Amino acid sequence: MSRAEFSYDFPHRHLLSVADLNPVDIAIIFERAEVFLKRNRTPDKSSDGLRGLTVLNLFFEASTRTQGSFEMAGKRLGADVVNFAMASSSTSKGESLSDTARTLAAMQPDILVVRHPATGAPKFLAEATGLSVINAGDGMHEHPTQALLDSFTLAQRWGSVGGRRILIVGDILHSRVARSNIGLLNILGAEIRLCAPPTLLPTDVDQWGVEVFHDLDAALVGCDAVMALRQQKERMTGSFVPSEREFFHLFGLTHERLEVASPDVLVLHPGPMNRGVEIHTRLADDPEISLILDQVESGVAIRMAMLELIGTNIRKGYGS
Amino acid sequence: MMFAIINARLVDPASDYDGPGGVVVEDGIIIEAGPDIDIDACDEIIDARGRILAPALIDLRTAREPGLTPDGETMGSLAAGAARGGVGTLMLAPNARTPQDSPDSLAALVRTFSDHGVRFLAAGAATVGLAGEQMAEIGLLARCGAVMVGNGDRPIADSRVMRRVLAYSSQFDFWLASRPADAELSAGTVALESDWSARMGLPSEPAISERIAIERDASLAELSGGKLLIDRLSTEAGLDALRHVRSRDIEIAATVAVAHLTLNETDAGDLDSAFRMDPPLRSELDRRALVEAVINGEINAVVSDHRPTPFDDKGEPFALAISGTLSVETLLGAMLGLVHDGQLELIDALRVLTCGPADLLGLPQGRVTAGAPADLILIDGDIPWVVDADALASPRANCAWSGRRFQGRVLQSFVGGINIHNHDG
Repeated sequence: MSRAEFSYDFPHRHLLSVADLNPVDIAIIFERAEVFLKRNRTPDKSSDGLRGLTVLNLFFEASTRTQGSFEMAGKRLGADVVNFAMASSSTSKGESLSDTARTLAAMQPDILVVRHPATGAPKFLAEATGLSVINAGDGMHEHPTQALLDSFTLAQRWGSVGGRRILIVGDILHSRVARSNIGLLNILGAEIRLCAPPTLLPTDVDQWGVEVFHDLDAALVGCDAVMALRQQKERMTGSFVPSEREFFHLFGLTHERLEVASPDVLVLHPGPMNRGVEIHTRLADDPEISLILDQVESGVAIRMAMLELIGTNIRKGYGS
Repeated sequence: MMFAIINARLVDPASDYDGPGGVVVEDGIIIEAGPDIDIDACDEIIDARGRILAPALIDLRTAREPGLTPDGETMGSLAAGAARGGVGTLMLAPNARTPQDSPDSLAALVRTFSDHGVRFLAAGAATVGLAGEQMAEIGLLARCGAVMVGNGDRPIADSRVMRRVLAYSSQFDFWLASRPADAELSAGTVALESDWSARMGLPSEPAISERIAIERDASLAELSGGKLLIDRLSTEAGLDALRHVRSRDIEIAATVAVAHLTLNETDAGDLDSAFRMDPPLRSELDRRALVEAVINGEINAVVSDHRPTPFDDKGEPFALAISGTLSVETLLGAMLGLVHDGQLELIDALRVLTCGPADLLGLPQGRVTAGAPADLILIDGDIPWVVDADALASPRANCAWSGRRFQGRVLQSFVGGINIHNHDG
């Protein structure tokens, strides 16, 4: 049954966690993202779907690509986009987050795009302000738009990620990208494998609907896609692996190692990438295998889709 | 002045008595207690009409706010909350905001103790600034009125310092309250290491951090002859360690915070900052193990770990929020919840709140017996009420039990025979 045969409106006014989405919600997001992906390749990229709405980018952690991607997405939809570099702002002067939230809400924005080093900060801001919030990464918790764009990129190649074998390799413990991807890929029915040294895996991760490996060569067998993650040094206290050299030897992706994977294996990386640590530089640049630039392109389309769907619900006074 | 309370259900854990009875009080001292009392000479007789008469509670872990905190918890509001909650004696423990590490300031604090109806006690800091490096002037703190020492929320990481503080404080017969956590394993963590915290991506400490600390601290107490007070046991792993070390010749005692007996990590499941605690809330298995330990008499005292925090809503997301909860006024209500649930007998719940802590410190109160100070409470075990953080005596509002339905209220509190609280309504 296609979506046209029944009536279902996208029910959300926030995007805080992938766990809030069901398969139909995801299909709606992908459908809109596909429209934007095509339109973004033409000289007529702009629309006015969000004209009159203000999107506030609140990045409490430094970010170039995600913030830029959200900014471009908002502007292409005709929204007023304002960037607040919170990392260097009032919070460093001792203001509590709830005070910051009240101040920002008084400026009457419509959508907050929030990145914050603490788990739950976007939800906290949603509750404190009553505004729509898109989680652009909270601590080690979630990064839902990254997971959506990863699956969308793969779905563009395959039609669907359901039933595909996908390996996530690297620093799972500190990765919000991994947590969101594990959640989303489970919803979409993919077979998920994780590969990392025990020091970089979360507690009881084997209960998350994944198969856990410590040996990359075994993990790669038959994989349709591999997501490489960088080590989140900014979230690490002390040493989790002895050296980058050793990490690359044990967990680094190369053409040679991918030979046991599916013949059409694809490689993703959420960036920023450390060449020679988690991925060989030649592999990262191989257009046959690497989807890294496709991910960046999809990112704008996915964020346009999210902003549009949420903006539409704000206009209608609909959604939760 | 002589008065009596009659027709009560007298619950006195010290004598293991739970039955009909009453007391006669003269000049602040209990002169008769039990089922057969002579009330002929009394000026006033209070008919308890079957309600519960028990010793006023003794709470060995509360915190004040520093002096001159605008709109903060004062000694007066803390005492008012205690009186309403049936707490007759409360210990001010050192913490980062009020380290209580200088004899001068401790002496000044102790001078204010007599003005508030309830009895205050103070614990001094074990190390300067609670930094775990240099020993505080424990002897001078003792002269200025400290009755024990502690290092607040921070474990003393350096085993050599810990050994010396234990040895040094033993000459004053002081307990050293030590937070059972391995300093490195627990550094920077905000939750128990568990499936929930892993999914939430919260920095978390494994439960065995507590076991490691108890095993180390107990060994150092054995070596030094010091008296070790496990300051807020919170895990089953820690309880296992306590059971093992108790088979050795060590002076060791343990407290549990009421939050760890009545709440678990899933209460914070929605990442509500009100449930940010230190030690963090644990699993339901841990909570049940602690309740069992209370029943078995393995826990010396249950403490409120009352901690007013400066932001009404804690102002920050869970991981960044200030830890702690208001709890002196809700201590008894939360414990009665366990009684009503059938998890705990009333006398066991009261033992760790009265004679348990009294015996630790050699206090005469905490028992309903002839010769003891008349620190008493009259409880209606059935009155239902809803905790409202804004209606508590504290001007702060960070209460983890806010919105919870409790059953049972303190009708009257007496300290030294003086009525310091009457429940209205």
